[in-house]
Amino acid sequence: MIEFQLDETSGVATYLQLVQQVHQALRVGMLEPGDQLPTAQQVVARLAINPNTVHKAYRELEREGLARARPGLGTFITRSPSGTDTATQARFLADMTGWLRSARSAGLGPDDIEAIYRTAFRTCFAEGVA
Amino acid sequence: MIRLTWLQFRAQALTAAAALAAFAVLLAATGPHLASLYAASRITGCRGGTCATAASGFLSKLAATSPYPIVYVLGIGLILAAPAIIGIFWGAPLIARELEARTFALAWTQSITRTRWLAVKLTLTGLAAMAVTEGLSLMYGWWAAPIGEAARLGYSGQPVGMGPFSLPAFDAHGITPLGYAAFAFTLGVTAGVLLRRAVPAMAITLAIFAAVQVAFPLWIRPHLSPARHTSAALGSYNGSTHVSGSDFAFTVDHLPSQPGAWILSSGAVNAAGQPVSTIPAACAKLPAGGPGLTPCLTGQGWRVAITYQPASRYWAFQATETAIYLALALALAGYCFWRLNRRTT
Amino acid sequence: MTAAIEATGLGKSYRRTWALRDCTLAIPEGRVTGLVGPNGAGKTTLLQLATGQLRPTRGTISVLGAPPAVSPAQLARVGFVAQDAPLYARMRVADHLRMGAWLNPGWADELAQRRIAQVGLDPEQRAGSLSGGQRAQLALTLALAKRPGLLILDEPAASLDPLARREFLRGLMEAVAEHGTSVVLSSHLVTDLERVCDYLIVLVASRVRVAGEVSALLASHHRLSGPRRDPGTLPADQDVIEESHTDKQSILLVRTDEPVHDPAWTVKPVSLEELVIAYMNPANDIPARRPQLGVAS
Repeated sequence: MIEFQLDETSGVATYLQLVQQVHQALRVGMLEPGDQLPTAQQVVARLAINPNTVHKAYRELEREGLARARPGLGTFITRSPSGTDTATQARFLADMTGWLRSARSAGLGPDDIEAIYRTAFRTCFAEGVA
Repeated sequence: MIRLTWLQFRAQALTAAAALAAFAVLLAATGPHLASLYAASRITGCRGGTCATAASGFLSKLAATSPYPIVYVLGIGLILAAPAIIGIFWGAPLIARELEARTFALAWTQSITRTRWLAVKLTLTGLAAMAVTEGLSLMYGWWAAPIGEAARLGYSGQPVGMGPFSLPAFDAHGITPLGYAAFAFTLGVTAGVLLRRAVPAMAITLAIFAAVQVAFPLWIRPHLSPARHTSAALGSYNGSTHVSGSDFAFTVDHLPSQPGAWILSSGAVNAAGQPVSTIPAACAKLPAGGPGLTPCLTGQGWRVAITYQPASRYWAFQATETAIYLALALALAGYCFWRLNRRTT
Repeated sequence: MTAAIEATGLGKSYRRTWALRDCTLAIPEGRVTGLVGPNGAGKTTLLQLATGQLRPTRGTISVLGAPPAVSPAQLARVGFVAQDAPLYARMRVADHLRMGAWLNPGWADELAQRRIAQVGLDPEQRAGSLSGGQRAQLALTLALAKRPGLLILDEPAASLDPLARREFLRGLMEAVAEHGTSVVLSSHLVTDLERVCDYLIVLVASRVRVAGEVSALLASHHRLSGPRRDPGTLPADQDVIEESHTDKQSILLVRTDEPVHDPAWTVKPVSLEELVIAYMNPANDIPARRPQLGVAS
């Protein structure tokens, strides 16, 4: 089961952080359709946040079509956010991990890697490539 | 709420029980010998003049036998002090401590109204206060019965003998301790409500209660029932004469025809019934303390006038005084209810 | 949705000073509401009025639809934890629970015992020897175990260390998750409020400065920065809460329900802490209209 984190300094609303973490987990295959999301009580016990925040996050996921609440049973993932399947995502994750390793052994630090990534990201998506 | 009151009152109750038990032991240890002394004094079944002699003999023997004088005085002192102690230690902190420690915020947000909370606390603790004080009084009354009987029968100038109306005896016997306890307790609670701090409330309670206990017998008790008057010839009663220069004063401690009566005032009056204290010119040259002074004054029309309350009124006085104190206690309690429900601070 | 606490023109005065004045708000049920403000602003007075410890001088207040503390049934519906969690120092933990059972018909003893064990309290220990965090947890247990519909807490975490504070909030939120209790808690620690509150009231100098859903407040407040500009020239639907100017630049905190279209402005979101500080600042002149935003569903 996914374990949520809370970044108090990020300025992003708590419920959005939860939603984003679910998206993230789906992308890397940590969560798959059919998996159960933690109950509000479990999240609250770990993070000491308002349970309404959890409900709000799960409602948002339901609105996006990613999850569904089954009364008495819990909230479950229904599908992956992107069109691609998890196998494709796992392949790119492996590629990326390999790239990062060689960048590190070439002597690049985390800030350099981040700068390279952001530049490439901006260029790529500014070109209008989906 | 009853169980909670007991839980919070437990320690104080046990202290009081221990004190009662200790006093009971003391009385039980000394009681039997007192009873045997009384039996040996042949007061029971006495007739006429022998009663006074037997009573005086018994009381003087008692005064010389330790520890009886100490126990006697201790007992009266304890009963007189008990209401004050209860008022201070049970009454004053009852609400003051809740206000000081701010636990009222806990107590008054449970599912129970303030009225019921206070009602249970006041009633249970108040009844306990009355029971302890009256218990002390009854135990002591049983123990000191022989002494009371002897004092009633005989005249005695000794400090051990006293009539039922005499100050400490009246306060320590009968049912008045109930009233004193109720009053002192509610006085303490009220002081706590008003002052909101336990220690100042304790001090104020002691001060006011002591003042009332001094003032009541002096100024109010004598008037609880219309006093009786009597007068007689100057030489009729045993009394003490005091002459200084031309001032004459004559006081009487007891009336043989009214054993145990409470003498409110006594003194010389002239033929018109007005109080007099100056020796008239006609008798001025007679020596003080000599046998001619009294006949001379009698010839001038002087008599002795006495104002008293008969002993038969003892229980009426007891009831009235207790009722007054209980009424005061109820009034104070009512004020506390009103004050707590006002909710302004 | 019915209101957990509803006040209309509520005021409380002592002799010549007003502890609370002109207070009108409707705190929704089912929410965790934060009451923020500087010391002496009237937070404790408002909470004492809500629990029936004080009577209003002016105006009305109703709690869960009824006047506060008017009957034992009404008293049972509201739980209260006062500042510094007052307890009977010479009574043991177990005795406090027994007191709760004796005085509250709706007492859930199993819940209370479970919570005490979970928090690690020794039932035989006297309350006077507990730590601050433990006292807060015991006081919270006493309030929760009577199963109230509304729980009111007056600065419950003010004197607790960070760990104890986190544990306290955790316990509180678990209770909300389990029972759906409405909560109103006053605090001046905004970071705690951000974590747990979804409704916010800012009280300054005995008046309500702003009240509303946290998400609505954050969505409707923006930090505008741009070239120097007179705030009077802004559109009518933009209320300026805070302004600061240099000779060339203006930075404004505005409240508006409409999006900001003016391209001259750089629009940034406002954090809850910045928002609260702006409303608490007595130098800022808060526009009188619409002090309370509507409840978003």
